[in-house]
Amino acid sequence: MYRVMRFEVLHAKRQHLLFFLALVLLLSASLFTQYLLEQRSQGRAAKLEQLRLLPKGEILRPALLGYQQLGADLLWLRVVQVLGDRVVRDKDYEWLYHALDVITTVDPKYVYAYEAGGVVLAELASRVDLSNRLLEKGLAPNPSSWQIPFRLGFNHFFHLGDHTRAAEYMAQAARIPGPFPIGPPHYTARLASRLYVQGKNPEVALEFLEAMLEQTTDELVREKLQRRIRRISLERDLQMLEQQIRQYADSRGRRPASLMELVLAGLLPGIPSEPYGGDYLYDSKTGKVMSSTHDERMGVYVPADSLATRGDVE
Amino acid sequence: MEHSNIILKTAGLRKTFKVGFWGREVTALEGLDLEVKQGEVFGFLGPNGAGKTTTIKMLMGLIYPTSGQAWLFGRPIGDQESKARLGFLPESPYFYDYLTGLEFLQFYGHLFGLRGVTLEKRIDELLELVGMSHARHLQLRKFSKGMLQRVGIAQALINDPELVVLDEPMSGLDPVGRKEIRDLILCLKESGKTIFFSSHILHDAELLCDRVAIILKGRQVACGRVSELIDEGVAHSVEVVIDGLSPEGLARLRQLADRVIVQGPQVLAVLPSRQQVGPVLEIIRGAGATLVSLTPHKGSLEDLFIREVKNKQPELREAV
Amino acid sequence: MRILSIALNTFRENLREKLLYNLLFFALLMIGSSILLSRITLGDYHRLILDLGLASINLFGVLIAIFVGIGLVSKEVDRKTIYTIVSKPIPRYEFLLGKYCGLVITLLANTVVMVAGLLIVLQVMDVPITSLVFKSLALIFLELMVITAVAVLFSTFTSATLSAIFTLAVYVIGHLSGDLKEFAKKLDEVSQMVVNAIYYTLPNLERFNLKGHVIHHLDFGMTDMALSLTYGLTYSAFLLLLASVIFQRRDFQ
Repeated sequence: MYRVMRFEVLHAKRQHLLFFLALVLLLSASLFTQYLLEQRSQGRAAKLEQLRLLPKGEILRPALLGYQQLGADLLWLRVVQVLGDRVVRDKDYEWLYHALDVITTVDPKYVYAYEAGGVVLAELASRVDLSNRLLEKGLAPNPSSWQIPFRLGFNHFFHLGDHTRAAEYMAQAARIPGPFPIGPPHYTARLASRLYVQGKNPEVALEFLEAMLEQTTDELVREKLQRRIRRISLERDLQMLEQQIRQYADSRGRRPASLMELVLAGLLPGIPSEPYGGDYLYDSKTGKVMSSTHDERMGVYVPADSLATRGDVE
Repeated sequence: MEHSNIILKTAGLRKTFKVGFWGREVTALEGLDLEVKQGEVFGFLGPNGAGKTTTIKMLMGLIYPTSGQAWLFGRPIGDQESKARLGFLPESPYFYDYLTGLEFLQFYGHLFGLRGVTLEKRIDELLELVGMSHARHLQLRKFSKGMLQRVGIAQALINDPELVVLDEPMSGLDPVGRKEIRDLILCLKESGKTIFFSSHILHDAELLCDRVAIILKGRQVACGRVSELIDEGVAHSVEVVIDGLSPEGLARLRQLADRVIVQGPQVLAVLPSRQQVGPVLEIIRGAGATLVSLTPHKGSLEDLFIREVKNKQPELREAV
Repeated sequence: MRILSIALNTFRENLREKLLYNLLFFALLMIGSSILLSRITLGDYHRLILDLGLASINLFGVLIAIFVGIGLVSKEVDRKTIYTIVSKPIPRYEFLLGKYCGLVITLLANTVVMVAGLLIVLQVMDVPITSLVFKSLALIFLELMVITAVAVLFSTFTSATLSAIFTLAVYVIGHLSGDLKEFAKKLDEVSQMVVNAIYYTLPNLERFNLKGHVIHHLDFGMTDMALSLTYGLTYSAFLLLLASVIFQRRDFQ
């Protein structure tokens, strides 16, 4: 009997080992196929694919069974993952817009999604049209948010050069009551009124941009704003120089031979330094001043009403 | 196995359970040693909660012993081959109540690899044996308790087992139902099967068993032939009822009897043993009285049981 | 053979369950309702019918798998019907496998009915039936098999209610685990390890989701199909083996 027992024990032990090995084998086999599948479906492409395949918000909304906010949060997380990659092809932004549209349809009060989405679409994707479409959608469901009209105002001012619309949106933002994080920053109302009156003045633009810079924490947007500030400072200097030249010509009956003459005449405390480190080139025949770094002028700020903004060259 | 006629054997079988959130250990069975021989009816007795069902579950491979060993047909418990020679009826069985009697038995037949005509024949026989032929197309949910018990026994017998284990086969049944199950057990014994059953009803065991084991609170307190256990150290008292005994005769009777009760013209006397019967009969003859009845009192398992509780395990008294 | 007997008995048990018919009825109702909805929608109604049909088959399949699956073993233990089975010469793993196969047969029968309903609707509404639809259905069925295995695994050691909660949780996490892994890339190392552990031990149910492919006519090659099938089957086998090991050690009290 003891022999039988020992055999049984051995048998049981061997069985345990077999079971254990089989468990490990099966788990690793399933993990391996999982890994193969993962390799095949190229992580990133899959992520974008998922965004692209999102059902329409109108369909998704009822399917979330009351968990709209959670659903919007999860989708937002996904969107953020795609954005985090930084190398996004132009056509991917269509899907990005689609995803943002779904998020804001599922949860129309997701102000941050409008705001951040608006920034990303306008600044990263250079798709001001999509940015404005998204932001305009957010106006109606969020009447107490100043961020959305503020953003819209900025888009119209900065990207579209439409100062009247920009002023209207700024005024709308300025009407929201409350101290700063709840209400708009204190300078909003002043900006709005100045935009109404003298939208094309580079001084106003600089003031607007400085205010935006103060308020923005996102590095990418800050960098963009700083670039634009530099570019507009250049424009402001050019306009200022040309105006002094005109004034000089009016009083002396001739244009100055060089910019130094303006300083000598006491019209300028000194020649301003070119923000990009170049020089101001003066053509005494036409009375025009040019920068050695930028040969194009910013149309919007030239008194003659004209074209939309051109991108700055660096 | 040394003795091939020993069908079931346990050695120091012990089971503890962990109960409650903190896993407090409770001993359900403390070192059980049993031997069941081929062809006998073995009663496994004890009050509710004594550890009978725990023991049977271990033998059937439903739970694992904490320590100790047990063998069925000379093989360690849980062995598939020995299970093939076994039939089991659990306590207050619940079966697949969506099945009809026939489907139910077919299912268990299939588990033993029985098919076709062989199975049909076997089912017919079994339904006949347990008296359930009328219920073959009735769903089990419509069965009475007694019917379930009988179809449960049929299920236990589907593989024509050598050992039949029944857990509380007679509990919850009416007297007629109990009689039927008793007859069934005797009938199985006649056909050469070994039967191991548990019960807390001692009277049933007394009528059926060749040998019994008694457990109390997980401890084995007695084991042996029923007649031996009953006779062990018991003086058999005798009860006598006499009509028309004279006062003088009554006085003499009082000297012999343990107890005398006078009820009108009749006298009831309890004699301590058979030795007193002769003298009492002489008293009756001498007094010209009539003997109405004379009943020798046999010891019962119940007496034994109560004695065991009182003597051996004073701390267990509350268990009965 | 014994496994088959237990499977067929389980199938019979499931067939006599009212829950099954209720769920099946609602599934067919939803598939049918897509005809009505397609009348009021604008544009691509093919998409709506396919969307709704596949989603219904998937969702109701999962509901059946979970709510029948959790009772599969625990009900037998609770109602003590398992006593008569385990005392017969049947290894416990055979019992478990039999119960599992029984529910898989039930799910197959259900899915066949639902798919028949969908095909009729597609035929009536003149929606082209591509091979992708069948690939998607096959993977939906595979997902049901995995979820059933999860339900069986949980029901070998916890109560029916707890297994239902656990299985539902695995279902939800199983669909989100791919995202979790992506999100974790932005977290610290410890969180990453935790999330990766979850990702690799829980089933990645998104692998069985071809609904997007069907709607947007994206290709799903035979290699992908074979890999997905292998993944589902090996993972189910793993779960069942684990369940068997746990079940083997269990005391039935």
